[in-house]
Amino acid sequence: MAETKQDLNQYKIPGMRGPRNRQAVEKARDRKGTFRRLVLYFGHEKKRLLALLVCVVATVVAAVYTPRLQSQAIDSISQGRFSKLDRYLLLMLAFYGGQSLFTLFQGRLSALLSQSIVKRMRNDLFQKIVNLPIRYLDRHPHGDIMSRMTNDIENVSNTVSQSLSSLVSGCLTILGTVFMMFWLCPSLALLSCTTVILTVAATKFLSSAMRRFYRRRQELLGSLNSTVEEMVGGYRTVAAYSRESAVTEEFNRTSDDLTRVGIAAEILGGSMGPVMNVINNISFVIIAAFGGYFALKGSITIGTISAFIIYAKQFGRPIDELAQIYGQIQTAIAGAERVFAILDEPSEDKSGGENMDHARGVITFQNVNFSYEEGKPVLQDFNLTVEAGQKVALVGSTGSGKTTVVNLLMRFYDIDSGQILIDGVNIRDISCDELRHNTAIVLQDTVLFADTVENNLKYSGEGITDQEMEEAAGMCHCAGMIRRLPEGYRTVLSQGGGSLSQGQRQLLSIARAFLAKPRILILDEATSSVDTRTEKRIQDAMVKLMANRTSLIIAHRLSTIRDADRIVVMDRGRIVETGSHEQLLAAKGRYYELYMTQFAGQAT
Amino acid sequence: MLRYLKKYWFFALLAPVFMIGEVSMDLLQPRLMSIIVDEGVLGLSNHHIGDLDLVITTGLKMVGFVALGGFFGVMSGVFANLCGQNYGNDVRKDAFGRIMSLSFEQTDRFTTGSLITRVTNDVTQLQNLVTQCIRNFVRTFMLFAGGILSLVMLDLSFGAVVACALPLVILCAVFFLAKANPKFYILQDKLDRVNNVMQENVSGSRVVKAYVREGYERDRFETANDSLVGTQLDVLLLFSYMTPIMNMILNAAVVSVIKIGGIQVAAGAVTPGSVMAAITYISQILNAVMRMTMIFQTVSRGVASGRRIKEVLHCEPAIEDGGFSGTVSCRGQVEFRNVSFAYPDAEDQKVLDGISFTVAPGETFAIMGSTGCGKSSLVNLIPRFYDVTDGQVLVDDVDVREYPLRELRGKVAMALQKSEIFSDTIEENIRWGDPDASEEAVRQAARTAQAAEFIDQKEEGIKTRVTQGGTSLSGGQKQRIAIGRAVLKNAEILIFDDTTSALDLKTEARLYEALKRNCPNTTKIIIAQRIASVRDADRIAVLENGRIAACGSHEELLRTSAVYRDIYQSQMNG
Repeated sequence: MAETKQDLNQYKIPGMRGPRNRQAVEKARDRKGTFRRLVLYFGHEKKRLLALLVCVVATVVAAVYTPRLQSQAIDSISQGRFSKLDRYLLLMLAFYGGQSLFTLFQGRLSALLSQSIVKRMRNDLFQKIVNLPIRYLDRHPHGDIMSRMTNDIENVSNTVSQSLSSLVSGCLTILGTVFMMFWLCPSLALLSCTTVILTVAATKFLSSAMRRFYRRRQELLGSLNSTVEEMVGGYRTVAAYSRESAVTEEFNRTSDDLTRVGIAAEILGGSMGPVMNVINNISFVIIAAFGGYFALKGSITIGTISAFIIYAKQFGRPIDELAQIYGQIQTAIAGAERVFAILDEPSEDKSGGENMDHARGVITFQNVNFSYEEGKPVLQDFNLTVEAGQKVALVGSTGSGKTTVVNLLMRFYDIDSGQILIDGVNIRDISCDELRHNTAIVLQDTVLFADTVENNLKYSGEGITDQEMEEAAGMCHCAGMIRRLPEGYRTVLSQGGGSLSQGQRQLLSIARAFLAKPRILILDEATSSVDTRTEKRIQDAMVKLMANRTSLIIAHRLSTIRDADRIVVMDRGRIVETGSHEQLLAAKGRYYELYMTQFAGQAT
Repeated sequence: MLRYLKKYWFFALLAPVFMIGEVSMDLLQPRLMSIIVDEGVLGLSNHHIGDLDLVITTGLKMVGFVALGGFFGVMSGVFANLCGQNYGNDVRKDAFGRIMSLSFEQTDRFTTGSLITRVTNDVTQLQNLVTQCIRNFVRTFMLFAGGILSLVMLDLSFGAVVACALPLVILCAVFFLAKANPKFYILQDKLDRVNNVMQENVSGSRVVKAYVREGYERDRFETANDSLVGTQLDVLLLFSYMTPIMNMILNAAVVSVIKIGGIQVAAGAVTPGSVMAAITYISQILNAVMRMTMIFQTVSRGVASGRRIKEVLHCEPAIEDGGFSGTVSCRGQVEFRNVSFAYPDAEDQKVLDGISFTVAPGETFAIMGSTGCGKSSLVNLIPRFYDVTDGQVLVDDVDVREYPLRELRGKVAMALQKSEIFSDTIEENIRWGDPDASEEAVRQAARTAQAAEFIDQKEEGIKTRVTQGGTSLSGGQKQRIAIGRAVLKNAEILIFDDTTSALDLKTEARLYEALKRNCPNTTKIIIAQRIASVRDADRIAVLENGRIAACGSHEELLRTSAVYRDIYQSQMNG
């Protein structure tokens, strides 16, 4: 029984992708629309897709016809016509050769097709993601976006390159086989079709039972994985609170549940093989018994029996495969829908024609109103002017809207009403890139890339010399620390810069901002983990660097802001006080209160 | 790793036994088939007169065998899964339990990411290895051996075909495996790189945009993506040769069998029925070889995973319980005696060097110092997160290494520099400090930690669920939850490792006041950057380059320590 062909079609390359046949099936919301769009999206692959289908058809034709040749060869043996045998055998070889050749083409085409699809979709999606407004990224879980990039695209590409050809070859094989069987012997064909009913019934029953368990298992696996991730990731806290045994107990419970459900799921899934085997063997028996009976009556030959045995096999497999393929296609369409959903998001509006070549850096907020969520205003009628070359500090408690000011100035978010001007030009009229080129920010949560220290420092662009880089590192007091790293500036930082302390990471990101040579510099709690003496030295360096340039500083620590030309005290989205350190102290208002807590210490 | 199988030896034995049953039934079929053809239909031994009864009785026999085979197959699956999955479960639980007993020095060395993959992915691989081995390996081997045996028994000349085709198939399989295997590792690596770029861009989007590096990032991504797609294509194209070549060998073998069969039938040595049976057997044999290549993949990955898990399981906790069980003379005293410390991976760089001091019960002791001077390392020695390189740390006059860990850590409540928040309600996060605490106690701790205000503003209050990693909270909010957790623990010693950096001065001041009121007898060790945070401490230690540069009260230090004055100046003078 030439079951090899089908078996090899199922041959999955290990390590490439997970088991596809056991995924929980998902449904797309707008299946038709998404499908049409998917077809259009791959429109330019038409030629390859067409060639692939040609190969599939050729392979199927060969697969359907060769058993007939084999049956003729066997007949010529059993009937003693040995002279004809060689002709049949040569024909068989030719067909097998053709089949192998087309299988080869099919494999290569589907590889090229899937990889070109993956590449294009990934690039498109990535390009979209870097151009999405911050608002989108702030509001969508990052894990979800990541999984669209990995799982969903993989599913789409697999379906287009493999499931589609399996679908076509499956349908064609069934049709061709049925045709051949009926052509050879209609009554035996009808008899062997009875097992089809069995196949369909068994597939339906088992897979619906399986689906329940597989879904439950998927849930448990997810919860197990996130327990591991959280507890191993937060191991310091686990150890500090001696929660090891409690955590392990919880893990063991989930693990036991998972094992119970997993055993049930796998036993059901594993029964599929033997059950199909039984059904196949039953059709084998039917063919052998009834075929023998017909052969005795002389209505068919031995060779026909042999052909029928192969056909019955060929026939049973695709049916059980088609059910899986249908599920895969549905999952892929649901995935494509999710990918398209991101691609459809409007990109960040970066328009604006004005440039900032001669900008002096006067920042004006005029009657600015802003809210992240409707009805919950964050900034209300906010007015502020920062003169060129000034150093302005924003102070206020958490939630007073300091960071929002930065978000608006960088055009990470657009304001609801009012306007923000730089040198009298509305920032909506300045191109976003231009605006950001001239503005450097250092954020509360430092972002360092898994790259060399050098590339991290030179992130703002090309044309930074090594000397400039070393100078900046010196100014930010990280030169010594970098020198102690195993490979100095060429040391690759681990992802998220894990090997450095929080304070050291802040120093690096300040150096990076210095190297961007901005006209406007924004420090948002940029030195919160740096000790105050180091901070003081950095500030001294900043004074030189930012002479004639504008800086905006947000901090809790009064030592950070005291030197500012102007201090703006904010509360609930409004400015409550503004002035220099001395003026504000003299005014004995909010700032004075804050300032005095330093001296009064803990006894306010 | 084999000792874990011991418990399930019965299942491990039954699964292959049933599998042998299933395969035997499969192997019987072609033989019965050839009887139907030769005797029933062609009537070879009965002067070419067929025998319908024989056809029917043999057919019924076949159905019986088939059903039996199916039953055996299902049972084999049941036992293989009972064995494999329970085995995997035991390994997983032990590995996780082991990780939960390691010291930080050891988890640091493994890295968190690697530990996570080991408990999840690697265990699955190992489990697959076991299930595969006791089931598919046996099945494939039986089909292979049984096929060869049956074939040779039919007629020796068919064996010649196998003898020719088999080495070819094996050679082919070995060739492709050898070529593809190293590529899989590269592939995993490149996939990681694509995911990393993606991850960095999603989470660091503000920086990318602020530096207008979208184009650069896109190029970086495309380079990584091209390289991944290229390798993937290499592998796929390599494998696209494998199927057709294997098929061709197999089909050529079938043709040869028919050819030889023809000659033999003509010579009267074999029957047509055995030619048909031979075709079935030869497909079976070569098929088995191809399946074997898949199994070897699973095995080689499973073995690699097994090795990685073994590394975890065999990692003896570097920090073990001490045997101390006596009573202590005081509550809440911490003493450092000439302590030196270097991280195990950088032993020549001393982080702490000859530190000595004593903190009396109930005292508030503050530690200041510049970025990277060893403040965190110092407090990490108290609950034995790390062990000293030299000298002694004593809690309540007993060396920390002598306590059982649980007892020692029960004495210390520590709020860490990086506030770790778990995906649960705020209430449960705080309750980590004391699992048996009442809701009122949790609320009280939140009030002390100055967290009550923002918690009450949330719609669901203390029952609000926190997302993983606490991303739905601000830095200051996370810190206050972590502080609440430490307060609830009500331990002898309370340690804040720069845990108030994101709080504004007022909130911080209120926090210290509440602490003083609600936990007057607790020894408090506070690391901070701001003078305002430490000035009311009974004593302040200034750490510089791993040594204590000065120690005393705020006023004393202002008089005697130049370094402290320097820090003070940096914060207080305008």
